[in-house]
Amino acid sequence: MVLSFWRVLSGGLLAMISPFVLVSQAQQPAAPTKVVQVMGLTGVKSKTSGSLAVEGGNLRFAHGAAKVDLAATSVQDVVTGNDSQRLIHGTLGTLTMFAPYESGRFLSLFRTKLDTLTIQYRDTDGGLHGAVFTMPVGQAEVIKKELIAQGARTSVPTVEGAENPSSKATSAKEQKP
Amino acid sequence: MKIQKIMFERVGGCTLLVAMLFTGPALRAQEKQPAKIKASAIQVTMIESDEIKLPAEFQVSLYEDLIQQLQKKGGFQHVYRDGDHHAADAADLVILTSTVRGFKEGSERVRQVTTVAGATSISVHCAFTNKEGKLLVERDIKGNVRFFGGNLRATYDFAKKTAQVAHENFSPNAGT
Repeated sequence: MVLSFWRVLSGGLLAMISPFVLVSQAQQPAAPTKVVQVMGLTGVKSKTSGSLAVEGGNLRFAHGAAKVDLAATSVQDVVTGNDSQRLIHGTLGTLTMFAPYESGRFLSLFRTKLDTLTIQYRDTDGGLHGAVFTMPVGQAEVIKKELIAQGARTSVPTVEGAENPSSKATSAKEQKP
Repeated sequence: MKIQKIMFERVGGCTLLVAMLFTGPALRAQEKQPAKIKASAIQVTMIESDEIKLPAEFQVSLYEDLIQQLQKKGGFQHVYRDGDHHAADAADLVILTSTVRGFKEGSERVRQVTTVAGATSISVHCAFTNKEGKLLVERDIKGNVRFFGGNLRATYDFAKKTAQVAHENFSPNAGT
C-alpha cells in the first residue's frame, strides 16, 4: 500500500515537472561555436577567430566587440566539409619549421582534424558572397542544421533534412576533400 | 698601334653585345604588348565546375580571391559581384566567366614533410566578354601551391595571375 502510494506520488511529481524541463531545454540558446573565419565575410579580415551562432534567424559571427549578422534567409547554399591543420600552428608552428634535425617536419605529421563550413549569401544589392569557416569536428553539421531550420538553403541536404522543402534536393553527396 | 686597334675593336664588340643583351628583351616586350581594351568595370560570375568535382570551399575561395585581387590590381573602377543589380547600368562592363578545367588536391602534410611532393594545382578557363556576350579575351590560367601554405593558397595564386591578365588587357583610359 505504502509502495504504491510512493509510486503514484513520484509519478505525479514527474508529470508536473516534465513540462518545465522541456521548456527550459527549448529556451536554451545554442552555445556559440569557436571558429576561424578563413575568408569572405564582409568587414572581417581573413583568418580571424571568433564565435559563430545562429540566433533569431541570423548567423552571427562575433569577434571581440565587432559583430556581423547575416540573415539565414539570405544564405543561398551551406555546405560542410573537413580539413586538418598542424597540431602546433600559428607563429609557433612557423618557428618549429626552423627547428634543428628536421624536427619541424616530424612535428608536421601531428595534425588535428577540422570541420569546414562554406556558405554563399546575397547582399542587399543582390551580389553573391562566399565565406569559409573552420571549426572543431562535429560543429559544422549542427550549425548547418540550425541554418536550414531558420530558412537557409543547401545544395547538399542533410540526412534528416532531405524532406525539408526549403532545401534544393540534389543527388550530390557532401564533399569530403 | 695595331694592338691598340685590336683592343679597341674587342672592347667595342663586347659593349655592343652587352647593349643588345639588355635592350633586346625590353624591345620584344614592347612589341608583344597588345592594345588595351577600354573597360571601366568588371563583373565576376561564380566559378563554374560542372565537369570537375570541386570542393565548395575551393569554389568560394576562387571567387572571393578573384574579386579581392581584381579590386587591388585589376585597374578597374568598379568590381561587381555575381548578381549585383548595379552592374546592369555600368558603362564599358566586362564580364568574367571562369570554368574549372582541372583540379588536383594535394596535401599540406605531405608538402611540409617532403617539400617536393603534395602540390595542389587548379586549372581554370577564364573568358572575358562584353555585355552583349562578345568574347574579348580568353586564357587558361593555373593556380598552384608547391611548398608552403594550405591548399586554398592555390586559389590566391590563380587570382593574382588572373588580375594580371585583366590589367594587361583592359584599361578605363584605353582608346577603343
